[in-house]
This record gives sequence, structure tokens and C-alpha cells, in this order.
Amino acid sequence: MASRRADLHTLAGPYALNALPPGDRARFERHLAACDACEQEVRGLQETAARMAAAAAVPPPGRLRDRVLAEAARTRQLPPAGPEAAGARWPWRARRAAAARRSTPGARPRWLRPVALVLSAAFAAAAVAFGFVALDTQHTLSQAQARDHMLAAVLTAPDAKMMSAPVTGGGTATLVMSHREHALAFSSAGLPGLPAGQGYELWLMGPSGGRPAAMLPHPAHGMTSPVIATGIRAGDTVELTVEPAGGAPHPTTAPILRLSI
Amino acid sequence: MKNVGMTDGPTGHRAPGHRAGRARPGESAPGRPGPAETDLGTLLNRVGRGDEEAFGAVYERVAATAFGLVQRVLRDPAQAEEVTQEVMLDVWRTAARFEPDRGSPQAWVATIAHRRAVDRVRSVQAAARRDDQAARPGEAYDDVAEAVEARLERERVRRCLGSLTELQRESIVLAYYGGYTYREVAGLLGIALGTTKTRMRDGLIRLRDCLGVT
Repeated sequence: MASRRADLHTLAGPYALNALPPGDRARFERHLAACDACEQEVRGLQETAARMAAAAAVPPPGRLRDRVLAEAARTRQLPPAGPEAAGARWPWRARRAAAARRSTPGARPRWLRPVALVLSAAFAAAAVAFGFVALDTQHTLSQAQARDHMLAAVLTAPDAKMMSAPVTGGGTATLVMSHREHALAFSSAGLPGLPAGQGYELWLMGPSGGRPAAMLPHPAHGMTSPVIATGIRAGDTVELTVEPAGGAPHPTTAPILRLSI
Repeated sequence: MKNVGMTDGPTGHRAPGHRAGRARPGESAPGRPGPAETDLGTLLNRVGRGDEEAFGAVYERVAATAFGLVQRVLRDPAQAEEVTQEVMLDVWRTAARFEPDRGSPQAWVATIAHRRAVDRVRSVQAAARRDDQAARPGEAYDDVAEAVEARLERERVRRCLGSLTELQRESIVLAYYGGYTYREVAGLLGIALGTTKTRMRDGLIRLRDCLGVT
């Protein structure tokens, strides 16, 4: 994961030089939509490329001006960018701008919707499956409510960011995090089944060591319903390991997922 | 002698904080600033609302950059003229979508121009551009100051490109002025894909710092 992200990051150069084939370009733009640092870097590199453009300046033939102005006079202009604007030149910027416009408190950035939908669908399925357990005691119920509340807060936070990565051995992990809420929501799809007595454990690893964040619930239809990890800090790494079903205080196996957040 | 040092290029790159206007001696008029001395971003804003006079002023500022870049990539002046027309019409059509807080107007236009140029190259793969003919330096600048600015900018960029390693420089120049994809660049230089991507990024970062891009 780390290497895949690092690899994506080096695409900033070819992207700014417009040297990516369409597939890579789309992949990198998806990455950009969720990576502030990358966007900032790309911006600087595009300004640099623009200086190379200026250095190549040659005045066009005078007749071109008249042609362009005449053609413009009979060409309809596009309205300001909406998220679905076709042909927008800086597509991820349009997307982010739309998200920013929308990010009044409680509003959910548009690009986040599919994730939110997936996560809330998983959550709903889990609620149906395990609802009777939750109703057993008031204690469990309020825990579930608290989790539901936290989940909604993370998914709708204005700074919510989504990351997705393949898991070693199979499956995909998706997380949505908000540094403002100091929390992340984590879900997975297609993780290999484990023998009884074992489970997937999520960890938050920081500079001063790690701590267990959550045990993933049993998957329903191949997906695990979202778990919440709170107290995240910039520079933390999220890791996933296979542990005894009851959880372990420290990772005892090699991580099958490692994501910097 | 005009204030050559005030701007960085023919398209009006400015030092940070110098965004208010072009303010060339002899051109300033009292009252509302005319198009010739208005900030490019402001002009684009007016263009977005259908202001054709502002569009004429934008054309004056950016057409040389667009045409020069497109011609550099395509090599063929006739095609370059055609594509530059498309670029300028893109600017007209999409001006309302320019977001000043997301980058400079110059970078916005350069991105449009470069994408149009490589779209043409990659769809046609024009054989002519494979000649190693260098782009001709600006011939008929009617404004002496602009010509000097263009030469200064060329000189600055040339000097900074010279400070890169050979692989960094070659991969950047092939990609940007040649219009090649990084895979093609890797093939041309006989280096690994990963190395090519890294050289492009590292080289651009060095170029950015050398040019003082903020």
C-alpha cells in the first residue's frame, strides 16, 4: 500500500507535464481529489510548466486574432463549473470546489457520497443482522448509537477524506477520516475468511508506538460493517493484522495493510 | 526603456504581490483601468461574463505563449495556428470556470494549450514533428518590451534547465516540449518507467525552486 501510494505520488511530475496516458491520468486525478499535499505539489509543478510555456512564446500571425475574436462572438460560453461539468480542464479542482461549496456544516461532499452509501449500507445490513444483540442491554444500545453518531460525524465532516487500498492476501480496505473529528471509519470488502478463533484487528501506529483500534466484525455478504477509530493524529499509520478473535494488545503478525493517514 | 524587470514573461507572470496591474509607463489612463493594465485574472473574470473587449485583452496577453507552446509541440505552424484557435476558444468558453485560488491564469491557459497540443499529436501522430527542428525564436514582436521579456524568460528557464541532471532535463523537455508520454520518454531515453517518473518529478521540483515559483 505504502509503495502503491508512493508510486502514485511520483505521477505528479508526468501529470504536471501532461505526459500521462488517459488511464493513468484518471487514476492520478482520483488520487488528487483525496490528497491535499499532492494537489499543492501539482499546482506548483503546473506553475513551473507554465514558465516553460512562457519561455517558448512566439507571436502568432496577426490574422489569427481576428479569426478567434469573430469565432468567440458566435460561441456560447459555459456556466461556472458544476461537479458534472463535462470537459472541465482541471476536473479534480471542479470536484473539490463543488465539495467546498457544499461543505456547510452537515453537508456531505459529493464525491464522498458513494463511500458514505457503501458504508451506511454496510452499517444498515449489520444493524439488521446484529440488531437483536444490540437490543439486549441498554449499554450495548447506547454504544451502537454512539458509534452511529460518530460514523455520521466522520462521513459528513467538511475535511473528510477517503482512502482505499488493496489488502495483502485479498480484499480491499476503505477508510474515511476526518482530522477535525479525530476519527476514522474503516470498512473492508472481500477479505479472506479466517478460521474460527481468529479475527482481523485494526491498529493505529504512531511515532510513540501503536494501540489497538478495533476488531473488525464478521463480514456480511463479504463486507465488514464500518468500525470507528478515535484519537487519530496526523502522521499515524493504520495497520491491519490477523490476531486471536479476542484481540491482542500488540500486533503479533505482519500487517496485511499499512496506510499513512 | 520600459519596466522590463517588473514582469517575468510575455504572458505577464508577476512577482508575488504585484498582481494589481501591468502599469506600464505611458499606458496608464485615469479612471477605470483599461484592459491593457488590468490583472489577467480580473480580465478572465470579465470574459466569463461575456465581455468581448476583455477577451481581446486576454488574447494579447496569452496568445503568444499558447501559440509558441503548441508550435513547439506540433512543429507545424499551420496546425499550430489551428490548435491555438481552439485553445483561445476554450479560454473563451470556459473562462467562468477558471478558479483564481487554484492556480495562476497563466498556468490555466498553459494547461489548456498543452493538452490541446498533445491531444492533436496523440491522435494524429504527425510525422513531421519528429524532425529535430528547433522552434524558431519569436520573430515579429511588435512590442519591444514584450520581446525583451520573452527573451529574459527564455534565458531564465534555459539557465534553470541547465542546472538539472541530464536525465531530468531530457525527460522534462521531451515530455513538455516534445509532447511525449512518460512511457514514450522512457523508451526514447532507454530508462525504466519508474526512473522516468521520478526524474520528471525531481527535475520539475528543482526547476520550480530555481525559477522561484511559489
